[in-house]
Amino acid sequence: MTQNTGTCTIALHVYSMHVLHTKGVNVLQYIGTSLPIHDSVGKATGGAKYAGDMTVPGMLHLALLTSEIPHGIVRAVNCEKALAVPEVVDVLHCFNTTQRRFNRYRNIHGQKLSNQERVFDDKIRLVGDRIACVIAETPQAAQLALSLIEVDIDPLPFATDAKTALESGILADIHPEGDVYPVKEMIMGGEVPDLSGTVITQTGCRLERHNHVTMETQACLADYDRCTGQVSVFSPNQSVHGLRTVLADLFEIPYHKLRVVKTTMGGSFGSKQEWMCEPVAVAAALHTGRPVRLSFTREQAMLSTITRCAMDGTVSSHAAKDGKILSIDLDVTVDAGAYLSNSQDYAAVICSKLFRFYTFPHARYNARAVCTNSPVSGAFRGWGTPELFMMLEHHFNTLAKDLHLDPTDIRLKNAALPGDIDVKTGQTLGEIRAGACIELGREKFDWFGKKEAIKTFNVRGGRFRRGIGVGCGGHGNSYFPRREDFVGVEMRMAEDGCVLVNMTVHDHGCGTLVAMRMIIAETLELPIEQISLGEGDTDKTPLDVGCFASRTTYVTGRAAMDCANKLKDELIARASLLLNIPAGQLEAANGVVSPRNGGNGLSFGEIAAKSMHTEQREVFVSHQYISKSNPGVTGAHFAQVEVDTYTGMVEIQQYLAVQDIGRVINREITAAQVQGAVAIGAGCALTEAMMPDKSGKFTASLKDYHLRNCPEVPTVQIEFIEDGSIDGPYGAKSIGELAIVPVVPAIVGAVNDALGANLNHLPLTPDRIVAHLANGGIAWN
Amino acid sequence: MELNFTVNDKPRILAVSADARLVDILRDELDLTGCKEGCGEGECGACTVLIDDKASHACLTVAAQLNGKKITTIEGLGEAGKLSVLQNAFVEETAIQCGYCTPGMILSAYALLLTNPAPTEADIRTALAGNICRCSGYHQIIRAVQRAAKEMGGAR
Ligand code: FES
Ligand code: FES
Repeated sequence: MTQNTGTCTIALHVYSMHVLHTKGVNVLQYIGTSLPIHDSVGKATGGAKYAGDMTVPGMLHLALLTSEIPHGIVRAVNCEKALAVPEVVDVLHCFNTTQRRFNRYRNIHGQKLSNQERVFDDKIRLVGDRIACVIAETPQAAQLALSLIEVDIDPLPFATDAKTALESGILADIHPEGDVYPVKEMIMGGEVPDLSGTVITQTGCRLERHNHVTMETQACLADYDRCTGQVSVFSPNQSVHGLRTVLADLFEIPYHKLRVVKTTMGGSFGSKQEWMCEPVAVAAALHTGRPVRLSFTREQAMLSTITRCAMDGTVSSHAAKDGKILSIDLDVTVDAGAYLSNSQDYAAVICSKLFRFYTFPHARYNARAVCTNSPVSGAFRGWGTPELFMMLEHHFNTLAKDLHLDPTDIRLKNAALPGDIDVKTGQTLGEIRAGACIELGREKFDWFGKKEAIKTFNVRGGRFRRGIGVGCGGHGNSYFPRREDFVGVEMRMAEDGCVLVNMTVHDHGCGTLVAMRMIIAETLELPIEQISLGEGDTDKTPLDVGCFASRTTYVTGRAAMDCANKLKDELIARASLLLNIPAGQLEAANGVVSPRNGGNGLSFGEIAAKSMHTEQREVFVSHQYISKSNPGVTGAHFAQVEVDTYTGMVEIQQYLAVQDIGRVINREITAAQVQGAVAIGAGCALTEAMMPDKSGKFTASLKDYHLRNCPEVPTVQIEFIEDGSIDGPYGAKSIGELAIVPVVPAIVGAVNDALGANLNHLPLTPDRIVAHLANGGIAWN
Repeated sequence: MELNFTVNDKPRILAVSADARLVDILRDELDLTGCKEGCGEGECGACTVLIDDKASHACLTVAAQLNGKKITTIEGLGEAGKLSVLQNAFVEETAIQCGYCTPGMILSAYALLLTNPAPTEADIRTALAGNICRCSGYHQIIRAVQRAAKEMGGAR
């Protein structure tokens, strides 16, 4: 493998080793090693059960009917023929289900959002909108009945992009609140500095819609016990408590009668933090009083869930001749799709990452979300940050060209420094390593050497052209300071020395459980096999907002570490009573509490057993952690591409990712996350787009939505800068979302470098590249 | 129709309709849910199983094509309670994240190693071209296959 440890090229910041107070880096037993994900044996043998694999006695099968037209009013749903199919139990639709409305994106009780959706509505707003659901004894009967439902819809005029919707005004009535949802203007950084003599630059980007394409589509098993009134929901979701508030409020179920359990998740990337499948399943379970299961088809996963929005953005700046931007102005239009869902928040939150890699003395931000008859926009790995940095990085490349500066130099000129203040939030960026990422990256990538080599290659002319690009990006580690961010943890010491941990986590398949166990094992100095930890279950695990916002390692991991330390203290306190030695004279190490000055101690298990027998007490601790920091966490990626000017195909020849991560917990899984982010990002940059056809239907098949596959994904070299952060567990900061932020700008920058172009309509598909070349050729010099 | 075939070395006789898809037969009739459906149209590889030792899409194969065939699913790879060399390599090389691609990925790799015990990286990439993994960048997967090849004797 190519990733290294601790290759930071700048002097360590004063904070950097602070967190490693108890032990030096080298004595860490688990942190920084590589362990397989907790359920990998089950996944390798087919034993792991995902929601769509689960069956329970008496279970009914659901099949969802979705709209083929983009906008209209449902006049009638005729189910006569469908109901005549043997083994069909019933059909649910807008005329026989709840009229109440919900917002698929809500994840906190009381969150103020417009509730625009019904389980089934009599107004259809996109191709893929839910119309009806067949409930049947067998999947075959459900499918057959689906094809026999007759729906009478009066079509309405439609628009599948924000520009058309805004210009025509035809969607003004799509919702009672209208179709345009502005975000309050944000002015950041106080006084406008003196802008005389500055260079004014304006750039724009058009980013098309993307799909998450998790290999597992959305699925849910729901059950309703009519005797007890208990509803149970099993689904791969990123927030059991968030889902509980949505479902319980929608169906008017008391929270204690609604149990949500997180199941094995076959990937999310944000697509399972909003809920479209579960409300249908719960409606059917309530209706029948039987367990029901619904699995979305790939087409439904593409059209009827959420997607990354399409976006138009412009960036204008005033810059000094040396490339330092003094004032920046962004204007963003988010195409929300058919329901507003999270899009107004999404549009607003984009500017909260404006100062997470660069710092600008003054900035202005305007945005709006516009509803259209398109797949609904929602959470997607990075939550707007990849789009923001695509726009910023494109701007920097343009500016660098105009000012004859190297792209890496202009970025360094504007990069935030350790201890800088995030102008938007007023909070410190702490141990940010933005500049170090660029410096280390251009050295390891041999940026300047490659620049020369490419010049020589391209000057020969011919079919293939090469280019290099750099992409930078920053992100957060939690909700702070937008929301207070807290986590509860409980730990019990069993009589055999095992630790039972109770906390709310949702493993997306990126190793959250094993990371938590590594942190706890490290802190308690116990073998990791002795630490057990489950996943979110509203009947059992503590209240939690969910596994998103890149908060899991930084906030939840720190909570786990603190609780483990508390458990250690509790073990010492119990041992002190049992051994009759003052606590101050005892220490806990390697699973044993013993006197500091020698003598016999008690193992953790013995303490638990003796406490039970002699004191009638369990060794138990609970801990509430409130996170109050959010340091800068950054990355810089470097790509070399070769463009085939005949076909417009792009080969990514070399790729380097430098990640300012604070501390790696699980090394190989972390590397895999970065490499996976490059694979998805390469698709977003070059091939992946959901586009509408004339009927208003968007790309709904993997035949037309082009993912990069194994031969097309580049080998990704990784450098982790690991010099610790203050508050993260063992110095760790976030990675999963951040890793995708620099990818698209690095690749797009490289393609534009290869062609001497300024292409800004993404993805840069072969068609777009060929059309560009046909229009004016290569402007490379 | 009456379907007479072998699944994981056990002879099976099932009454199914001729157009029943193999993915549904395995999952719904035989409870072999390690065979995943990711797209239903041959694009993702999640449903890959071995039909007469060849990696095949269970979503595109129907009962009418299966009489007398030998099917191997992920459940049939190791011995009871023991991982096969290839499965073990996937686990230990951390080539598994969400795991939804894993059964198909392992079976495609298995089929490769049956015919090419010492594949190059390019061979592996080509053999896995039809199996999408959305979580990883394939690095650990490729390494797992290389490791298994070595451990199974076909070192290259
Ligand atoms: S489900 Fe068969 S290839 Fe995708
Ligand atoms: S591990 Fe998630 S798709 Fe491969």
